[in-house]
Amino acid sequence: MSAKHTTPKKSFFRSGREDSPFKRILIHLVLIISCVIAIFPILRILAVSLRPGNRLMSTDLAIIPPDATLESYRIILFEKPFLSWVWNSLAITISTALIGVILAATAAYAFSRWKFPGRSVGLVFLLATQMIPASMLMIPIYILAIKLGMVGTYRGLVIAYCVTSIPFSVWILKGYYDTIPVDLEEAARIDGCSQLQAFLRVLLPLSTPALAITFLFNFMAAWNEYLLARVMLGSQESLLTWPLGLQRLQGQFQTQWGQFSAGSILVMVPVMVLFLYSSKYLISGLTLGGVKG
Amino acid sequence: MITSEVILKSLGEVGTTVLLILIGTVLVEALLYLILMKWLKYKYALPFMLLAPAAIGLIALVIYPLIWELRLSFTNMSLKAFRDPAFIGIKNYVRVFTEPVLKQKMFFPLLGQTILWTVINITFHVGGGLGLAMLLNRKMRGKGIYRAIIILPWAVPQVIAVLAWRGEFNFAYGYFNIILTKLGLPGVQWLADPVANFAAMCMTNIWLGIPFMMVTLLGGLQSISSEFYEAAEMDGANAWQQFRNITLPLIQPVLTPAILLGTFWTFNNFNVPFFINQNELESSDILVTGLFRAAFQYNRYGFSAAFAFVIFALLLLFTIFYMRYTRSLKGAYES
Amino acid sequence: MTKKLFPLFSVLLVAVMLLAACGPKEAGPVTINLWTKEGEADGGLQYVQALADAYTAAHPNVTFVVTNKEVETLREDFQTASLANAAPELLWTVSDHLGPFTTADLIQPVDKLVDLGKYVGSATDAVKTPDGKTWGVPIANGNHLMLLFNKSLMPVAPANTDELLKMGADFVAANPGKYALAFNETEAFWFVPWLGGFKGKVFAADGVTPTLNTPEMIETFKFLAELKAANIMPAESNYDVMDAAFKEGTAAMIINGDWSLGGYKEALGENLGVAPIPKVVATDTYPAPYTSGVFFMVPKGLEGEKLDAVVDFMKFATNKENQVEMVKKLTRLPALTAALSDNVITEDPILAGSAAQMSYGTPMPTNVEMRCVWDAIKPELLPTYAGTTSPETAAANAQKAAETCIAGLE
Repeated sequence: MSAKHTTPKKSFFRSGREDSPFKRILIHLVLIISCVIAIFPILRILAVSLRPGNRLMSTDLAIIPPDATLESYRIILFEKPFLSWVWNSLAITISTALIGVILAATAAYAFSRWKFPGRSVGLVFLLATQMIPASMLMIPIYILAIKLGMVGTYRGLVIAYCVTSIPFSVWILKGYYDTIPVDLEEAARIDGCSQLQAFLRVLLPLSTPALAITFLFNFMAAWNEYLLARVMLGSQESLLTWPLGLQRLQGQFQTQWGQFSAGSILVMVPVMVLFLYSSKYLISGLTLGGVKG
Repeated sequence: MITSEVILKSLGEVGTTVLLILIGTVLVEALLYLILMKWLKYKYALPFMLLAPAAIGLIALVIYPLIWELRLSFTNMSLKAFRDPAFIGIKNYVRVFTEPVLKQKMFFPLLGQTILWTVINITFHVGGGLGLAMLLNRKMRGKGIYRAIIILPWAVPQVIAVLAWRGEFNFAYGYFNIILTKLGLPGVQWLADPVANFAAMCMTNIWLGIPFMMVTLLGGLQSISSEFYEAAEMDGANAWQQFRNITLPLIQPVLTPAILLGTFWTFNNFNVPFFINQNELESSDILVTGLFRAAFQYNRYGFSAAFAFVIFALLLLFTIFYMRYTRSLKGAYES
Repeated sequence: MTKKLFPLFSVLLVAVMLLAACGPKEAGPVTINLWTKEGEADGGLQYVQALADAYTAAHPNVTFVVTNKEVETLREDFQTASLANAAPELLWTVSDHLGPFTTADLIQPVDKLVDLGKYVGSATDAVKTPDGKTWGVPIANGNHLMLLFNKSLMPVAPANTDELLKMGADFVAANPGKYALAFNETEAFWFVPWLGGFKGKVFAADGVTPTLNTPEMIETFKFLAELKAANIMPAESNYDVMDAAFKEGTAAMIINGDWSLGGYKEALGENLGVAPIPKVVATDTYPAPYTSGVFFMVPKGLEGEKLDAVVDFMKFATNKENQVEMVKKLTRLPALTAALSDNVITEDPILAGSAAQMSYGTPMPTNVEMRCVWDAIKPELLPTYAGTTSPETAAANAQKAAETCIAGLE
C-alpha cells in the first residue's frame, strides 16, 4: 500500500475500501433503488409482451403473468416480416453510422488542427444546428427528396442520416483531438509521414474511444429514427425499417399491443448489447470538447 | 420471416448509395485538389478538402431547407392559400407574439412553460447524474453491473419508452396510482389534471435523461486526480468543501457543454411532451409541440415557419449568453 | 361479359403493339400509387392489396403500389406531395380529409366519374359540399359507435338511460369488481353521440360557427358526470382500458365502433350483442353517433389513361361481389345499395345491429373547422367527468378554444 493511502478517507463521495460498512450499505442501497427505477418500465413492456391475447391494460401487476406465453414473439418473428425490418434497419444504421464517423473524423481534424478562415463561423454553425427543431426541416427535406427522385428508396434516407449526425460527431471528435498533443503528429512527420499519414496512423488510433462513442451515437440516432423514414420510404413492404414496421401494428384506434411489445423488446437487445460493450468507452470518450490535455 | 430477396434488395439499395457517396466524394476531392492544391497552392487547401464532403451535405440538408423555410415564413401559406401563397412581409412574426400560438395560449406563457420544463429536467438530470456518478466513482463491488443497468434507459428507443410510461399513468391500471391506492391515498388523474400531467412529462423525461448525464460526468470525475482530494483532506476540508472547491470547478469543463447540449435536447424534445399529453392540454405543451400542432394539425405553414425561426433565435441568444457567462466553451470553440 | 373480354382484348392489344413495335401508347403500362389508411392490424391492408392484385390479374397493364399510411400521416404527406407535384394517383381514406383537401384544392369531384346513384345516400351525402359536388366514391359506410354487450354478463341491452343506470347499478351490486359500462372517455368522438341525444350540435346552421356553449352541451356534460358518479364504470378509461375490460369480461357493455366488431366476434363469439346506444330519457331521443365512412378520393389534375384506370378500379372495388367480400372480411357496412340486401348482412345479427344504430347516426362534419372543435372539446372531457370542472365552465372553455382556433386558421 502506498503512502498516499494511509490517511483514512472521510469524504462521503470519494474513495473505496476505507468506507465504513454502514456507508457502503447505504451506497449499495441507493444504487440498487436506482437500478430498479431504471429497469422497471422495461420490465413492464416485457410483461405486456408475455400476456396472451392483445391486452395492454391489465390489473395484473406480475412481470411474468401467470398465463405467460411466447405467442406474441412467435407471431412477430415468424408470421410478420419483423426480421426483414430489423435487417433493413441494421443495413441502413451500420452503413450510415460508419460514413457519418468518417465524414466527421476528417472534418473535426480540420477544425482541431488548422485556423482556416471561416472556422469560428463553422463551429458556431455546428452548434446552431443542434438548436433547430426537427419538425422545422421535414417539409423542405421531403420536397427536396421528391424532386431528386429519392422517395421510396434508401438513397435519400442514408444520405440524410449521414449528414444530420455530422455536427454532433464533429463536436465530440474535435474535443477529443484537442486533448491529444500536436507533438505526436509532428514527431511522426519528422519520421517522414505526410500530414494525412500522421492523422491516420497517430491521431486516429489514439482517438478510438471518441470514435466508438461517435459511432454509438450515430447508430442510436439512425436506429430509432422514425419521422424522416416515414416520409422518405412510405410503406414499401420490402423496405420498411423496424420503427415503421412496428407502427403498422397500430391501427387508427386498435393496436396489437402484445406483438408491439414483443417487437420492442427484441429491437432493444442489439442496442443494449452495444451499450454494455461500449460502456467503458462511453465514459472515457465523452469529453464533450471541454477537457484540455 | 425474412427472405433472401429482401436481404439482397436492402443491401443493394444501401450499397449503391454508399457507392454514390464515395464517387461524389472522390470527384469533389479531385476537383478541390486540382484547384486549391495544384492551381492556387492555397495554404489551407488540406483542411478545406477534409471539410468538403461534410460541408456539402450540410448545405444541402440544413442550409437549403432553412432558406426554404425562411422564404415560407414571409408568406401566408395555409390550406386556404396552398398553391400560390402571397408575400405578406413580417406579419407572421408579429402574429407569433400578438395572437394565440395554440388554441388559446399566447407565445409568452408557452415560453414560460417551456423554460419551466427545461429547468426542472436539467436540474434533475444534472443532480441525479452527478449524484450517481459520484457514487459510482469509487472502488466497489458490482460497479460495472450498476453502471450497465443504470445506462439502460438510454438504450430504449424514446418512442417505445414514452408509450410504456404513458401506460403507467393510466388512472386505474397504471403503477403509480396502484401504489398510491395501496398506501391509502387517492389516485391522481395523470392525464387530465394539468399539474399532474406536467409532472408526468417531467418524470418520464428525467428517467430518459439521467444516464447521459451520469456517463458524461463520470468521465469528468475520473479525470480528476485523487491527489487533489488527498491534499484537501490534509488541510482538514470536509466533504462539502471538497465538493465545492475541487469537484465542481474541475468538472466544470465537462459540465458546461453537457448542460448546454442537455438544454437544447430538452427544449426541443418532442416525443415526451407530445405523447404523454394525450388529452391535448395546452398547459402541457412546449414550444416545439406547439410548432408541430401549428404546422401539421392546423396547416398554418407560413405562420409555423416564422414560429420556428423565433424558437431558433431564442436558443441562439441563450447560447451566446451562456457561453459568455461560463466562458468555458471558449476553449473548445475559439482556440 | 365486358369483364371477361377485357383481359383478352388487352392481351391482343399488347401483342399487336409488340408486333407493330411503334404503335400508339394508349394501353401502355400504368402504375397507380394507392395510399390507404387501412392498416394491417384488422386485415384492412391485406384486403386492399388483394383487391389491387385481383385487378392487376384481370388488367395486366395496370399495376399498383399500395402504401399504407396512418390517417394523419396520409393527410400530411398527401398535402406535401401535392406541393411537390408528386401526389399519388388514388387515395383510400376517411371522409374527414375532405375539408383540408378541398380547401387546399387538391382533389377533384367524382360526380362525372362514376354513377353515384348506385351508392347508399347517407354515404355520398357525407362527402358532398354545399355547392352540390361530391368528392369521394364510397367504399364502406358507417365508422359509427354503437353499444356492444356481453350476453353472458348482461343478457339484454338497456333501452334507455334510466334502464342503463338501473341495470348498471344492479349489475355492479351483483358482480363486485366488474363494471357495467366502459367507453373511451378521452376522445370527443365518444362524446358527440350523447350531445346528439340531448339534441345538440357542434356547429350552427351555417356549418362553421361552433356552438359548444349551449344548454344542450351543458346537459350532456351533466349527464355524463352523473353516469360516472353512479360508479358503474371504471375510474377513468381510454380506448385500451375499455377494450381490455370487454375482452377480459370485466365490463358488461362498452361503446365502440364498427371497426372493432371483427375482433370482438373472435373474442366473445356468440356472447357478443350489438344494440343502439340507450335512448336519452330527458329528450326522448336516441344518441346520434357520427357516421362517416371510407372513400376513394382522386387527386386534382389526374387525367388520361391514369384517370381511366383509376375510375375503372374504383368501380371494380365497389362492385357487389367485392362489397360482399369486404363485409365478410372486415365486418363493415357496404356503401353499395345492391350489397345491403345481401343475406350476409340481413342474416347476421351483429351487422343488423350495426345497421340499426347507423340509422340514428348523423353525418360527421368534414370541414377544416371540425379539427378545432375536436381539439377544443377533448381537454374538457376527463376533468368534467371526474367532477373537477363544472359543466358550465367546460362548455365555456370549449367554445372559447374553438373560436380562437378557427380564427387562427385564417
